[in-house]
Amino acid sequence: MEYDAMAHDASSPAARDAKKKRGNRSAKLKQSKLDVRREQWLSQVKDGKEVKAVVSPGAAAGANSGSPILASPHPPLPRRRAEIRTREGEPEDCKEDSVGVSQDAGSSDLESPTHSPVSYRPHVSCLQQKHCSGNGGGRSFSSGSSAWSSSRSVTDSDDDTGGSPENDDDGVLDDWEAVADALSVDDSHNHQDPVQAAPPVVPASCLGPDNAATRQESIKSRTKAWSPDDVLRPQSLPSLSKQASFPASMGNCWVAMGIGSAQKGILSSCPICYEDLDPTDSSFLPCPCGFHLCLFCHKRILEADGRCPGCRKQYTSASSGGGTVGNEREMGNLRLFRSCSMGPRY
Amino acid sequence: MVDVSRVQKELTECNRDREVSGVSIALHDGGSSISHLTGTIAGPLGTPYEGGTFLIDIRLPGGYPFEPPKMQFITKVWHPNISSQNGAICLDILKDQWSPALTLKTALLSLQALLSAPAPDDPQDAVVAQQYLRDYSTFSSTARYWTEAFAKSTSTGMEEKVQKLVEMGFPEDMVRSVLKSVNGDENMALEKLCSG
Repeated sequence: MEYDAMAHDASSPAARDAKKKRGNRSAKLKQSKLDVRREQWLSQVKDGKEVKAVVSPGAAAGANSGSPILASPHPPLPRRRAEIRTREGEPEDCKEDSVGVSQDAGSSDLESPTHSPVSYRPHVSCLQQKHCSGNGGGRSFSSGSSAWSSSRSVTDSDDDTGGSPENDDDGVLDDWEAVADALSVDDSHNHQDPVQAAPPVVPASCLGPDNAATRQESIKSRTKAWSPDDVLRPQSLPSLSKQASFPASMGNCWVAMGIGSAQKGILSSCPICYEDLDPTDSSFLPCPCGFHLCLFCHKRILEADGRCPGCRKQYTSASSGGGTVGNEREMGNLRLFRSCSMGPRY
Repeated sequence: MVDVSRVQKELTECNRDREVSGVSIALHDGGSSISHLTGTIAGPLGTPYEGGTFLIDIRLPGGYPFEPPKMQFITKVWHPNISSQNGAICLDILKDQWSPALTLKTALLSLQALLSAPAPDDPQDAVVAQQYLRDYSTFSSTARYWTEAFAKSTSTGMEEKVQKLVEMGFPEDMVRSVLKSVNGDENMALEKLCSG
């Protein structure tokens, strides 16, 4: 959860850079994918069952998670909707809203998805998912007009509020409205206090008992994998962070958050040999000063004077002290890296 | 064996913002060995070294970056921590305080900082250090004179020659390489350019 919170915090400044770095992104994604595979392979070899148990939900989610998002060739559309909503800051009439979307969509449906503030991503993917399931799952919005129709179908369902829970579609759509309302409330909170951008938890008070019930229902009856950004995603699933979608800007995220070099190094290269750090390396913290380096260089230094390149202090009982820190962090990094493969690819 | 990929990355990294940082690195005399380099630092503003361009001979030992690079001033310089005889440098990060996290660029920047902040209490050149401590104005004027005499002529003269030859219609990169090959002799270079 900690990573989740950080992700929310981090993503919004990163969004500004994200467009610039988009070029790097696909390459980085590829790289991280390789890293994930390697890491999984390593962990399976290293430690049979315990690690596997952690791996499997992530891997399973990884297999499916993209589907609702990938199904839509124009992911910005639903997102824009979320943006509009949040800009207005209050739950507006859905019809008005969707008109805004369809007009907007005509002009800007090819706009970069990285344009919109990333802090709203969770809402977005939530909305996206609902859109898709509301339209028979995986329906693609190929033009402004189809976006309009999909929005309208949402609006229709809004009209018969409190739709019957036995109808799966209506149930989900109804649920969608509830979530959207809750989110707009949540948004206003976020606007007031952007620092405390916790993952948007739907406040229970905003949901009528009806809606809450429907929501529970929809969680149970859901057959698709959770998208990494879904608000309704059970907290018990391994936390998959949002940086996954913007791996290129991750470094900046950390910097913006004032997180020390420890985490900053996750995707960067070894400062000694300039080779890329793999997950094992980036979770390797041999010195309390937080100076990252790859295992090869560390070994080389131990063979010589054994001083940390970052603080020039002697590495003291490096294997025991650093080891525990490394192991603690390893799980986090494991998750981070695995989540990289799950991010929506545009 | 020198870590070639790191050195190459360092070179590109360092030369990317050479105008801003005032330091740059090139292969020594246009040679091919990556373990013998020449660094260039601009004399810091507001010091007797202002306006000068100082060349530094850089040799990378086999253990680089785990061992410090060997640096020495090629350009004669009047400074308490730099030998006025052979350009040897007294700077801790080039000796026991080296860290593999440092780079050639940071080392050159440290040299630049050393030029603007001499440490006469830990001198390399005792004569200069004495002068610095007892008679700063003389030190200052001597240093300025040395800058004028040794740190300016070659580079500015070279630029003028390059410009002259370029104005004659020769491509600049060719002019530079030819000038280098004839050790800056303008007439020889012109002859070579015309024949070749």
